Amino acid sequence: MSEEIQQLVLWLIPVAPLASAVITALLGPKLLRYKSHLPCWSALAVSFVCSLILLLKILPSMGSAAVDPSEVGTFAGPQVLVSGYEWLNVGDLHANIELRADSITAIMLTMVTGVSLLVSIFGSGYMSHDPGYPRFFAAVSMFVFSMCMLVLSGSFALLFVFWEAVGLCSYLLIGFWYQKPAAAAAAKKAFVVNRIGDFGLIMGIFLIWTNFGSLDFVTVLSDSARIAAVEVKNPGVIQLICFCLFLGAMGKSAQFPLQVWLPDAMEGPTPVSALIHAATMVTAGVYLVARCTPLFVMAPNAQLAVSAIGAATAAIAALTALTQMDLKRVLAYSTVSQLGFMFMALGCGAASAELVTPAVTAGMFHLFTHAFFKALLFLAAGSVMHAMGDVIDMRRFSGLKHALPITHWTFLVGAAALAGVPLLAGFWSKDDILAVLSEASHSKEHGLFFGVIWAVATGTAFLTAFYTFRAYFMTFCGPEKFPAEAGHHPHEATPIMAWPLRILAVCAALIGLAVGPTHLFANYLQKTMGLTPVPPDSQHLHWDVMALSSVVAIAGIGLAWMFYVASPKIPGAIASAMKPLYLISQGKFFLDEILKALVVLPLVGIAKLATVFDRGVIDCIVDSIGAIPKALSSIPRQFHTGVVSSYAGFMWAGVVAAVVLVLTMF
Amino acid sequence: MPAYDAINQAAGLIIPEIILLATVCIMFLASPFLVSETGKAAPGLRHRWGTLSLLALAAAGFAWLKSPISDTGLGPFQADQFVWFVRGLSIVFGMLLTMILWDQVEDGIAAEANACLLAILCGVNFVALSNDLVGIFLGLELVSIPTYILLNLGRHDWMRQEATIKYFLLSIFSSAIVLFGLSWIFGLAGTTNLTVIAARTAEGKVAIDHGMFRVALAMIIGGLSFRLTAVPFHFYAPDVFQGVSPSSAAMLSFIPKVVGFAALLRLLPVCVGLTGFVNWMPEGAVRGILTVIAVLTMVIGNLLALRQSSLLRLLAYSSIAHAGYMLVGLAVGNASQGTSGVASLLFYLSVYGVMTIGLFALITAAGNAGRPIRAIADLSGLSRTKPAIALMMTVCVVGLSGLPPTGGFLAKLNLFLAAWSEGSQDGRILAVTLAINAVIAATYYLRLISVMYFEESTTVSEPSDQNAAWVAGCLCAVATLVLFVAPQWLWNAAALALN
Repeated sequence: MSEEIQQLVLWLIPVAPLASAVITALLGPKLLRYKSHLPCWSALAVSFVCSLILLLKILPSMGSAAVDPSEVGTFAGPQVLVSGYEWLNVGDLHANIELRADSITAIMLTMVTGVSLLVSIFGSGYMSHDPGYPRFFAAVSMFVFSMCMLVLSGSFALLFVFWEAVGLCSYLLIGFWYQKPAAAAAAKKAFVVNRIGDFGLIMGIFLIWTNFGSLDFVTVLSDSARIAAVEVKNPGVIQLICFCLFLGAMGKSAQFPLQVWLPDAMEGPTPVSALIHAATMVTAGVYLVARCTPLFVMAPNAQLAVSAIGAATAAIAALTALTQMDLKRVLAYSTVSQLGFMFMALGCGAASAELVTPAVTAGMFHLFTHAFFKALLFLAAGSVMHAMGDVIDMRRFSGLKHALPITHWTFLVGAAALAGVPLLAGFWSKDDILAVLSEASHSKEHGLFFGVIWAVATGTAFLTAFYTFRAYFMTFCGPEKFPAEAGHHPHEATPIMAWPLRILAVCAALIGLAVGPTHLFANYLQKTMGLTPVPPDSQHLHWDVMALSSVVAIAGIGLAWMFYVASPKIPGAIASAMKPLYLISQGKFFLDEILKALVVLPLVGIAKLATVFDRGVIDCIVDSIGAIPKALSSIPRQFHTGVVSSYAGFMWAGVVAAVVLVLTMF
Repeated sequence: MPAYDAINQAAGLIIPEIILLATVCIMFLASPFLVSETGKAAPGLRHRWGTLSLLALAAAGFAWLKSPISDTGLGPFQADQFVWFVRGLSIVFGMLLTMILWDQVEDGIAAEANACLLAILCGVNFVALSNDLVGIFLGLELVSIPTYILLNLGRHDWMRQEATIKYFLLSIFSSAIVLFGLSWIFGLAGTTNLTVIAARTAEGKVAIDHGMFRVALAMIIGGLSFRLTAVPFHFYAPDVFQGVSPSSAAMLSFIPKVVGFAALLRLLPVCVGLTGFVNWMPEGAVRGILTVIAVLTMVIGNLLALRQSSLLRLLAYSSIAHAGYMLVGLAVGNASQGTSGVASLLFYLSVYGVMTIGLFALITAAGNAGRPIRAIADLSGLSRTKPAIALMMTVCVVGLSGLPPTGGFLAKLNLFLAAWSEGSQDGRILAVTLAINAVIAATYYLRLISVMYFEESTTVSEPSDQNAAWVAGCLCAVATLVLFVAPQWLWNAAALALN
């Protein structure tokens, strides 16, 4: 494929959704109306096809020609497609926009555009009667554009721009039904909590700038000797950078204690939840940490923190999910919990240097499979919600198995994948994470630490299986019961909603098997900069871990079956027996309340003080400065009399003044 | 060289202008036969004349693309890169102005109006083309005289008559000053040919620091400042903008600036012995005058714009302030280091043209022939009655205020960088003044947006009948955004024009 076509393909990936966003925003309200999905669909299809070409054709072709083993994995290595756009070169100012695609980017792009395409197709059915139809598709296109640019960015500066753009789009979409106070509040919460993370990210970027003198990925990340030199010159700074970057990732990827925004974010339309949870937002944090692996390798303490925070998040979210009655909320907590799994894996490099690559691979693999089954679960939940007249409380409906057959079996596939039922997508990736953790627990230095993490992970895996199937059994099994809002005959998903569900279900079932045990994913990903490829002979399947996780998954499902199908009295009994624990879980560990008391209220107090100062002092100063030009303008105003002869007089005076000036100025 | 060959060669340099002037002749000659004694004409005649005008401009544009570029002056003309740039400006913006004029004139006078516009564009090109003091002056008059006619064509209310008379008298006055300055230079150098003047100055045969020489330059700068609407030669602008039709105001806000800067860029380097301005930088007294005028123009233009309630007066003061920004680029010149001031000036001039002509086109499109928009209050509620126009106007206004994501932001940035990186103290003063003025200007520009979006409409909205102006405005609004995304080609063209 010629150079130009490759560049074109690369640029089309972000530009197509951008064009769709602009077209829909401009023409949507008047012209396109309920056809607004067409630009979005076609743009995302173009992006997806281009991503596939990039993934399957361009990058492998770049690496195929006799790869020098020492070169693979360095950023200057063969599997990188770079395309710069010379934006502004004026005098000493050079501002260029550079897209940079390597293995990790290609994988992310394919996943993002593919899932987004299916979600947008589903969305056109789901949103079909909403007056904000054009707005929805404009925002979705913009969201996908921002996310594509985020992963394509060749420098931290550009990454930050689109990191913020993703935040903005999520704000617009979570608050899509801005008339609803809950949606407006959730959007605000997501935005504000993300700001905390962004603060960390931008501090990290400043630190990188001051220490490396560049924000370019190649300069900063490709040369480990340079990173080491920076560390020698300024001990501890790499660790600080990593903590800052991780703070950014915590915000975007909803890690403890910043995870509070994600469950609330389901106030937006359900397709948006699917996008946020699967493709376009929360994965950004994981991507950032994976991308910055060369920095994290130099900062073992930061890696330990990544694992610990991941474990804490996973456990807390799983425990919370146990008692939630809202179907989407259960899924939301499961996302938080699964993201915790990914971060647990990403931190494993601290145990030993050989584990860095398998650790990143496991984390990214889980991100990849998770995108499919979580999108599936959310869309299926959306289908339930659609059929139940927007009721999502699991106590108000049950036994939907027969009324919604397609939704039922697709949800079942997704739930089984999430629970880690053998051979489905989630099984392989979760298994990878557990395997990496168990290997890390054998290391000398941090063995005990990772042992604990491993135990937490296994426990959480059990809880995951339990709460997922609790939701499944409560929704689809038991006596048939519909809420009043649904009418008497709940209607199954229309074909336009059913097909994305079917496709995602097939993906959720098979994609893990296709690329996991065959090592396709691992081998592909390991050509990313900063990762040292693992020799093929040391890649093997961990039968022991697999056996354990199968048992854990099936035990969890079995327990859920026992509690919610066989003898539905047990949960109530347990809940009343362990009232305090139940309430803690039900109240989401009261994190919202704790954060409010510890962080929000003091800040509100400071803000009130600041307001007084602002109104009383700063406003006065600013207003009086603002009044100066207006006051000054009355002086020249007097000369504008409208009389021609006076105008000519002023012109003459001007010439005379200029003549006098030139004659006296030497 | 035989005289015939010389004429032939010289004519080869001005093919676009010959095309335009031929069209002008056709229009002036044919139109009396198509109009009755009482001034009535077949309905829709104006569109046919407009089409002819556009075709002529397209042909001239084609000739422009094919025109040869040579760096050495040849007889009366020199067709260098700078001419290429100015011609491009006049042809592109000529098309836009024709589109604004499309439905603004009555059928009976459409031929004259279009012909005047084409003649003005020719004058712009001749000023850049001329290799001769006389040629430059004739070019300036070829702009001025059709302008008087253009302003006076159409309905005769007292405001328009007053505006035309004011412009006529003051413009003649400024021409006289320029001519006086030019004649002093002729007296000192003994020739009117620019190449020869430059050569004699470079050889030292003409003393640059002669007092008379400086007086001549002061008068040229003073006289041409009228075209630029620089303080204190700006007084006519608000009165005239307010009195004439929006299409004429659009022309006045841009074309005279192109002429003025082209003439200054031709004359000022020549007077220090340079044929081009790639190494030119104003020094001593010239620099002093330019700096003072730039600061005064920026400050006074913006201060007075703050207080206007008439939209067209406000835009007149805004046009004055923008002239001040551009003068910053001229005062800095092509310093040896950093960003080139002249290239920044040319970049700014082009971007400013897009934004201001776009804004005038949209003002034309928002009103209709019977009820044009004049006061700021006429814009209230425009976002609800005509949302597309309001959106495009917002783009242009944001561009004029110099905020991203518009070309106006980059244009101001370039000027700022040029002034700052030049390194001298007055360069820094200019840069800071520019920045402060951009803030003051934002006040009145953003007020326009707030009126359009946050105030209720006071009058019943009538459908617009100005479709061509709408299209022109749309093109300009899109170009304003495109120039932010892809500015490099324009910068390269501007930088190339220096050679």
